[in-house]
Amino acid sequence: MRGPHHVRLAWRLLARDWRAGELRILAAALVIAVGAVTAIGFFSDRLNRAMTYQSADLLGADLRLTGAEPVPAEWIQSAADHGLRHVETLDFASVVVHGDKLQLASIKAAASGYPLRGTLRTAPALYAAETDTGDIPAPGTAWVEARILQALELAIGARIEIGSAAFTVTRVLTYEPGRGGSFFTMAPRVLMHRNDVAATAVVQPGSRVTYSYLFAGADTDLTRYQEWLKTRLGPHHRLFDVRDGGSSIGRALGRAERYLGLTSLLAVLLAGVAIAMGARRYSERHFDTAAMLRCFGATQRDLVRLFVPQFLLLGLVASAAGCALGWLTQEAVFYLLREVYPLRLPAAGLAPVAFGFFTGLLALAGFALPPLMRLRQVPPLRVIRREMAPLPPAAWLVYGSAAVAILILMWRFTGSLLLTAAVLAGSLAAAAVLAAFAGGLLVLSRRVHRRVGVAWRFGMNNLWRRTRTSIGQILAFGLVLMAMAVIALLRTDLLNTWQTQLPPDTPNHFAFNILPQDVAAMQGFFAQHRIPASDLYPMVRGRLTEINGSPVTQAVTKEEDGNEAIRRELNLTWTDTLPSDNRLVRGTWWNNPLPANPVSVEEKLAKKLGIEPGDELTFSIAGSERRARVASIRSVQWDSFHPNFYMIFPPGALDGLPATYLTSFHLAPEQKPLLTELVRAFPAVTVLEMDQVLAQVRTILAQVTAAVELVLLFVLAAGFAVLFAALSASLDERFHEGALLRTLGAGRRQLRAAHFAEFAVLGALAGVLAAIGTELIAWVLYTRAFELEYSFKWPVWILAPLLGGLLIGLAGYIGTRRVVSQSPLTVLREL
Amino acid sequence: MSEHLNGHIVSATGLSKRVGTAEGFLDILSGVNLEIKAGERVAIIGVSGSGKSTLLGLLAGLDSPTAGEVTLAGERLDKLDEDGRARVRAGRVGFVFQNFQLLPGLTALENVMLPLELAGVADAENSARGLLARVGLGERLSHYPRQLSGGEQQRVAMARAFAVNPAILFADEPTGNLDSATGARVIDLLFDLNREHRTTLVLVTHDESLAARCERHIHLDAGRIVKDH
Repeated sequence: MRGPHHVRLAWRLLARDWRAGELRILAAALVIAVGAVTAIGFFSDRLNRAMTYQSADLLGADLRLTGAEPVPAEWIQSAADHGLRHVETLDFASVVVHGDKLQLASIKAAASGYPLRGTLRTAPALYAAETDTGDIPAPGTAWVEARILQALELAIGARIEIGSAAFTVTRVLTYEPGRGGSFFTMAPRVLMHRNDVAATAVVQPGSRVTYSYLFAGADTDLTRYQEWLKTRLGPHHRLFDVRDGGSSIGRALGRAERYLGLTSLLAVLLAGVAIAMGARRYSERHFDTAAMLRCFGATQRDLVRLFVPQFLLLGLVASAAGCALGWLTQEAVFYLLREVYPLRLPAAGLAPVAFGFFTGLLALAGFALPPLMRLRQVPPLRVIRREMAPLPPAAWLVYGSAAVAILILMWRFTGSLLLTAAVLAGSLAAAAVLAAFAGGLLVLSRRVHRRVGVAWRFGMNNLWRRTRTSIGQILAFGLVLMAMAVIALLRTDLLNTWQTQLPPDTPNHFAFNILPQDVAAMQGFFAQHRIPASDLYPMVRGRLTEINGSPVTQAVTKEEDGNEAIRRELNLTWTDTLPSDNRLVRGTWWNNPLPANPVSVEEKLAKKLGIEPGDELTFSIAGSERRARVASIRSVQWDSFHPNFYMIFPPGALDGLPATYLTSFHLAPEQKPLLTELVRAFPAVTVLEMDQVLAQVRTILAQVTAAVELVLLFVLAAGFAVLFAALSASLDERFHEGALLRTLGAGRRQLRAAHFAEFAVLGALAGVLAAIGTELIAWVLYTRAFELEYSFKWPVWILAPLLGGLLIGLAGYIGTRRVVSQSPLTVLREL
Repeated sequence: MSEHLNGHIVSATGLSKRVGTAEGFLDILSGVNLEIKAGERVAIIGVSGSGKSTLLGLLAGLDSPTAGEVTLAGERLDKLDEDGRARVRAGRVGFVFQNFQLLPGLTALENVMLPLELAGVADAENSARGLLARVGLGERLSHYPRQLSGGEQQRVAMARAFAVNPAILFADEPTGNLDSATGARVIDLLFDLNREHRTTLVLVTHDESLAARCERHIHLDAGRIVKDH
């Protein structure tokens, strides 16, 4: 045989096999595997492009400097001297009021010229088409995100209050360069003019405000200015440029990609099993073809050149389809996450497509090649003696090549051989334990065997006859059902349980940015309206810079570097009495006489940073350095919803620094209107409504879990591919059995019932396995991670087996329909 | 080609085949010597288990002997590995089997095209169409084997066997799965095609009447040639 003929012939044979339905399951499994990894690939590629490789458009500038206070005027002058353009913005949280409705918003006050790079996009009305907008809101007006309009039931033209000032809403803000700064944006955005800030009276000394300075200019000017600036930056300043990678968001993204990627590998692994089964069946059904071809004079190499291109072609086509599926899935994920992540994202690159094709071909090579290679070994004498078949491929070859394929893919997601080995070992151990459970369930199911009807008995017999396949399938479906049950619990039960376990008058509102001169009036307001409130704590913003003279960054690992408590400014307070929900773990409370400059540190932060009583801490507060010695370590009950702090100083230690006050209080539902009164009376105060925050958390949780479930759907689909591949492998036997049983007098209905029974029991057992796993995981989550009282999750024990039984029973029923649709005579003649 | 030098297309010397069984070794063929001239029509006759099919398999190079020499078309098959023997078969050898051995996923036309495509023949489809018309199945081109009767399937198999115009055709009990009337028609066709293509024919059968249509008869019993006339 000569070259081009091989390819043409391979193509024709492939087309014929495809028409005969020989390759559909194999192709479907391949599409699922490639779809799963490319969906994750596209997802992270787009986020990476948006976040890690921040473009100037996303930064709103070439260079951005942020700080808790305004920078000295000479810095700005120097930027101008370096030939840079500059614009200033102010970011702060405040409550937006309309009539008797409130909404916490993230407010940006921008000066004319903002943004320096990229453009704002706005719409003239809710849901209207967005357009590029070259200017910013005129003084006295504000542009708001759609969420504000919805929450406050506003229309364009309505008036809103921010602090002491009122604004007319003139446009809907749809896109803002630089919004990528925070990954999950909780509060919706309001954009106003920089010159209106003073009128709101919201920004006072000590208020939580971020000052941003945006710069743009030529590369060399930027570099020189950055050099000039670096020596002058204080600890609370942060400088971002367009080359700034490896942000905490980037790292969080890396972790998410890793976890989702490993989840998608579960789909690849299951699909791989289906591919291996499909390839085995394909190979066995082509023994006669191979023998015949050998008779015609085809060499072993000819056979390889004939069959391998067929699989290569199939791999390429299926991988392309898988990439398309992955792309669609990723679009769906971003659609689900549209409120959590409102940013418009750049399109994905080609890297995920390349990886998709790589995965498809690797999965084929790893899982399909060993069974396919058997075709080379078919003896030509088989044409005379049909019982002659090639030896099955060696077990080490089958499992070895599959393991190598999975390891290579896993390594791509973990990026480390050690982690790959750990994940693999962990998965193998978990799979072994779960397989033992599945086997146990199978054995237990035999106990009920004698008590059920003949159809069910016959169906269940089929399960036991194919023990290994059955255990594998119970495991696969059990895992998927378990993951879905855990997600369902996370989404609904966990938050509810936590809420119901809070004491009834737990504070449900936080008020911060309370000015010192307003403290007495605020306490009076609470007393007058009988609102139970916590004490008012002073709050000074500062940053922990050194521990015993060494920079904090050296004390934390790279993973912990993302911890907000360390990276960001801390709220420091002072009090003479230990707060009621704090407990001293080590050291002593303010003793008389006090040690010089004492401080009390929260337990978890202390542990993370390795802080011990007696250590010397250095803080950067309002541009000056303060040293303090650790007098005690406290445990804090954070979910008491009383104001709590990482660092507590004794009274007097922070005198002279700009402080605002913080408190929390409980408002009964009927007292809600008082909130508007409070905000109007104290315009600088920012109120956080916990019920709104919780509703927001619920929305985010629902959306994020929906996105994860989408990935799980791939695993479920891969599970079904295994089911159908196994079914297809046993189909000849089932045809034969069914025909024989019918000649013996079994009715079609009985046979159908037996098939349903077989798969329903399989699904129900997978459901029981899922319930066991869910119960265990939920117990750990509730009692260890969230410290909640645990109750038995009985609905899972009913729903998981029921759903599993129905779903898989139905799939099996559909897959075996053909077995009873042909006459027994036809079947027996054909076999 | 060398087969024309001495006039023998197939020859075997001291050909033996021994297989291992649970009870020890079993000699299926022992010391078989024979020579077949090009264009000859030879029937190998014997009862079930006499070693007929094994001899056919060895002569066609589908299997390798335990001892002895086989030459097919001038090539020493016993010196070649399986791939080497396949190369010798390519384009020179045709087969017809008792169980037809059509590929179930291919139509009648595609089954006949297969050896032509493997040999890289440019106009495989037209040749195949012509051959199928010749065996009386010109109207059944797109039918799958399961849609054809036994006799029709065997006619497709013959069209396939003659597609590459082989120098030698091996037929293993070609009427074994057919009723006598259909069998007779199939055999008529086989001999007609054989004449038209001037192919050497090696026919394995236990049917004396079928064997009678060949000019030479080799009788096998317990793996040995007992009569050659």
